Amino acid sequence: MELTLAQGIAKAAALLGAGLCMGMGALGPGVGEGFVAGKACEGIARSPENASLITRTMLVGQAVSESTGIYSLVIALLLIFAVKI
Amino acid sequence: MAKKKKPMLRIFLIFFVIEVILVFLSGNFNRELEIGFENGKFKIRHVESVFNLQEKITEEFQIDEYYKHHGETPKLWGSEKLYEFFRSIPMDSTPVGSFQLLRMLLIVDIVLLLLALFIRKFLTRRPSKSQILFELIYTSLEEFVTETLGRDKVYYTPYIVTLFLFIWVCNLIGTIPIPGFMEPTRNLNVPLGLGVLAVVIVHASAIKFKGAWHHIQNYVNPKKNPLFLLDIVGEVSKVVSISFRLFGNILGGAIIILVVSSLVSFVVFPVGLNLFFGMFVGTIQAFVFTMLALTYIGVEISE
Repeated sequence: MELTLAQGIAKAAALLGAGLCMGMGALGPGVGEGFVAGKACEGIARSPENASLITRTMLVGQAVSESTGIYSLVIALLLIFAVKI
Repeated sequence: MAKKKKPMLRIFLIFFVIEVILVFLSGNFNRELEIGFENGKFKIRHVESVFNLQEKITEEFQIDEYYKHHGETPKLWGSEKLYEFFRSIPMDSTPVGSFQLLRMLLIVDIVLLLLALFIRKFLTRRPSKSQILFELIYTSLEEFVTETLGRDKVYYTPYIVTLFLFIWVCNLIGTIPIPGFMEPTRNLNVPLGLGVLAVVIVHASAIKFKGAWHHIQNYVNPKKNPLFLLDIVGEVSKVVSISFRLFGNILGGAIIILVVSSLVSFVVFPVGLNLFFGMFVGTIQAFVFTMLALTYIGVEISE
């Protein structure tokens, strides 16, 4: 299909926006999940008998703090597939 | 002790070797190998493979858009009556996507019903392995409910267990490699419905335990609650957050599985990706959804 210049610019901007959205949106969850995992390691080192409880709580907390990254993923998918030229 | 044989492993190895030989027979990665019988004789021939990732993703995730562009719709349904019924629902495009979604939801329901009947039939005093698994699920969730809501409100357990089992089976059923099988939670309508239902139950239980007028005052009376507008927005964002988390996780995992398996489609079937995105993430997200719904109920009725 042939695109005009304006349509090409719009498509390129949508794709660039999707990449930027995913890259910046992955920063926060990455830092947050790493922080949670580090704290869980400290907790397990301090009290190894609570390891299973700490691991379960860590996984749930990571899944909740991941949600901002998931929102950016949804928006990136919308930009790629749902923007009609 | 005799050495234990592993026939399954041997069968898998034989299939793997056959697959590798076929891959190197096909020679060119732009071609696919078609094996079949023609005129009573075994035949191998090359087929030029048309591969477009964008088209494939559209076919997998926006099936109505795909068939709107490509014209003919497949005959998914057996009877014409069903087709006419689905056409009669006002929709601007083909009803293939909603039909697939409803079919998958029905399959999930049948699986859950069969599981329930099966577990009930084989209840024993000395529990078998499957009975131990389900008793473990039930008792651990019951323990969560009693920790969060208190011992006198333990009757919330059936709702919580049903929510967990439904979302869990929904997420796990996508790992079965049959064409047309998909996770129902991949469609936004299912998580959104579950989230709206959870918030409705939260408010119904708040009205039940605190009284209707006392509860509604939080959202209409500026003297009692000066930030009542923010609370109204917060209720909407509860639904959006709880449902988009599940939806995005499952959809993102499915797209990653599709893209990576199209990169390595001639070599292996990506079992590890299905294991991680299907089973691990599916279990964690089902658990998180359940825990968040329980926490919302607990926050509202504990005061």
